[in-house]
Amino acid sequence: MTGELLRAEGIGKRFGGFVALEGITMSFAAGQLTSIIGPNGAGKSTFFNILSGALTPTSGKLHFRGRELSGLPQHRFVHQGISRSYQITNIFPDLTVHENVRVAAQALTVSYDIWRNRARLTELHARADAALDAVGLLGKRGELAKFLSHGQQRALEIAIALVSEPELLLLDEPTAGMGPEETRDMVALLERLADKRTVLLVEHKMKMVLGLSKRVVVLHHGRLLADGAPDEIRSNPEVRRVYLGQSEGYG
Amino acid sequence: MDLSLIIMQLLSGIALGAVLVITALGLTIVFGMLGVVNFAHGALFMIGAYAGLYLASLTGSFWWGLLLAPILIGAFGMLIEFVLIRRLYGRSIDDPLLLTFGLSYILVEGVRIVFGSDGIPFPTPPQLVGVLDVGIGFFPRYRLFVIALVAVVLLVLWLTLEKTRIGLIVRAGARDPTIMQVLGVDIGRVWLAIFGLGVGLAALGGVLAGPMRSVNPEMGSLVLAEAFVVTVIGGLGSIVGAVVAGLMVGISISLVALFAPEMATIVMFALMAVVLLIRPQGLFGVRGRTA
Amino acid sequence: MTSPSSGEALAKTAPSGLGRLLDQRVLLSIAVLALLPWLLPSQALAVNVLIYGVVVMGYNLLFGYTGLLSFGQAAFFGAGAYFTGIAIGRYGVPWFAAVPIAVLLSTCLAALIGIVSTRTRGIYFSMVTLALAQLVYYVALQASSFTGGENGLRGFTVDRINLFGFTVNFLDPVNKYYVLMAFAALAMWFQSRILNSPFGAVIEAIRENEQRARACGYDVERSKLIVFMLSGAISSLGGCMLALHLSIVPLDLLHYQTSGMIVMMVLLGGARSFFGPFVGAASFLILEDVISLWTPHWQIFVGTIFVLFVLFLPKGIWGTLLDTLGIGKARP
Repeated sequence: MTGELLRAEGIGKRFGGFVALEGITMSFAAGQLTSIIGPNGAGKSTFFNILSGALTPTSGKLHFRGRELSGLPQHRFVHQGISRSYQITNIFPDLTVHENVRVAAQALTVSYDIWRNRARLTELHARADAALDAVGLLGKRGELAKFLSHGQQRALEIAIALVSEPELLLLDEPTAGMGPEETRDMVALLERLADKRTVLLVEHKMKMVLGLSKRVVVLHHGRLLADGAPDEIRSNPEVRRVYLGQSEGYG
Repeated sequence: MDLSLIIMQLLSGIALGAVLVITALGLTIVFGMLGVVNFAHGALFMIGAYAGLYLASLTGSFWWGLLLAPILIGAFGMLIEFVLIRRLYGRSIDDPLLLTFGLSYILVEGVRIVFGSDGIPFPTPPQLVGVLDVGIGFFPRYRLFVIALVAVVLLVLWLTLEKTRIGLIVRAGARDPTIMQVLGVDIGRVWLAIFGLGVGLAALGGVLAGPMRSVNPEMGSLVLAEAFVVTVIGGLGSIVGAVVAGLMVGISISLVALFAPEMATIVMFALMAVVLLIRPQGLFGVRGRTA
Repeated sequence: MTSPSSGEALAKTAPSGLGRLLDQRVLLSIAVLALLPWLLPSQALAVNVLIYGVVVMGYNLLFGYTGLLSFGQAAFFGAGAYFTGIAIGRYGVPWFAAVPIAVLLSTCLAALIGIVSTRTRGIYFSMVTLALAQLVYYVALQASSFTGGENGLRGFTVDRINLFGFTVNFLDPVNKYYVLMAFAALAMWFQSRILNSPFGAVIEAIRENEQRARACGYDVERSKLIVFMLSGAISSLGGCMLALHLSIVPLDLLHYQTSGMIVMMVLLGGARSFFGPFVGAASFLILEDVISLWTPHWQIFVGTIFVLFVLFLPKGIWGTLLDTLGIGKARP
């Protein structure tokens, strides 16, 4: 995987009079882990929503693998190779852990088959188990998702996004609500994931971000503030000013 | 076609629409504030009609019926909210719907037991009998009264919502009930009042409609469908929507009845289907909860 | 409650003997239905349980499994009945062609209503389905030259069933029951296939988290439309069964109170269970029979019981039973 994977050109989003994002232009090369950081309200979630098709930009264009994504309905994004996990856990509560992931895997192959017995689609079962294994949840495969602990549900979040084998994985605050130990486990997982695919991460925990990423993008009030290697960002006076007073969080 | 005939039909449509507006208003206000759609709304409309009739014959005056029925039935509505609906907050959004649906069976059958299944005529009050010369023709006095009364009620409602402290609380509470609780407003009382208001409006609609249609235990089911159509067209939760849609539907039914009477009722459903295809949240509705 | 993935999964959690038996939910259900005329106090009741069970089963697909609370299922129940009656009575079509035609036409009706209503969500959906079903009622009321209007549809009677060289006297109650049971068995088999299929998983995902299902790559709107049509098709078969059974189609079949009754039956039996619809239908019909013995005002009791169920037993009789027995909790 080489070359430019994703390019945002002048992406902007308005909600009525409120400007959430403006003039976001950047590109992402394949194979890197990039973190997107910024204070609350900076527009990170909005940007993610646009990248994953949940929102349409009010201005600008998005290109993925050279193809423009305007007008593509949300449910087609995953078929293009872009997959996303959510900041607030967004799973299928009354399905088993295994089924949560299996049904996500199924979406890419078959939707409207009302005839075959899906238990026979063994490849999907295998892929689901593989994704669960990757996030360390294989032992819980038979449990109902609603009975998992918070940290386990966050891992399930990622497994669901992972099973579609995306080229671009968008992770929205994967460590949200986690304590130091769970965060360490998640970071280890993210390192393993970043090896094999392009990852875009939205996070708040600075130490974690700086340790993990090849590149850091800083958003502030909907605009691009800074963009570069972790060391550059760490010593960037603008960034320090914006984050003055913000706690560094666990890392 | 005779222009004056069309205008008279238009006026008729506005009278019809006025009743639709009052009924739909009750439904939409309760949804806007409580997130609950009352499937017993039609039954309560019907009970309002019966209550109005009964009180009128008891006191000898239509006007007492008109005044007291909405108040009494509104109070009954508050009882329903307090005893039944309140238990369902926090549960699936389908539950209040199902509960009120079951309730409508009880209410309709209850009326059948007390008043029998046959229709009862609702006499027009003597002061409003007859027609008035409106220049282009003669129009029933009673219908003019209905239009005027509904306009007054709308005005009072608007003034209350926009200009009073209570109205402010209601408007704010509709947006964010948690904030209201934090600010010390007794949200339980607000819900009680709003539900009572919604039911009271349904009952008012029933009393007003009484002299225009005959009163029977079945009248609620048509009304429920009508109220749903109007609120969906207008947008659930929108007062302006209820008014615009109600008038639109009333006028459409009335005009179509001129050319093709069998198609009259059907036309409102067609209108709803068209609106949904173009704008699923309704004319004045907000995307999100419902579309 | 859990996702009904393949029967094998169920077998692994319930005690093995019971589990293996429950695998074969279609066969088991048919066995119970075969014994029904002897289990229930009256023949007529048993036939009604068959008919309404099938209607509610179709509805369960939409409401129980996909989570779409429609209040307009009567439109498809009635459509199936009317189309069957009109085909046989007016056009002289033999029953074995009338039924498939009726189901096909009803499915088209479901497509039309579905296209409009699946654009909405939540409470709107419930309101819109009720309103559109009332539209069907009014059309049937007006088109009296086809439907008989207020008096209902009459003048079509199936008295003999000719199949594969055998002639069955359909007027004989026992024969009638088993012929209709064959229809029910077909419907159950069809429903079971849908539930076990990949599409069956899609509708459950939609119920659990519509937004995530969309993000995972499913066209949620189209899927809703498809399940709406499937649900309408199955319920319309119940309508065909009713027409064959009664030889009349009352107009009230299309009224939203019939839709309400269907909702009540599914709740009584437990939404989202395979056999629940039949339990719910039986419970409701038995209740109606028993209560109307001592009062004509049984609707009050029906309404009250319904309210009580919503308040205290949201999973219905069958669902609560399954829960208590611990059947189908965690699954591999």
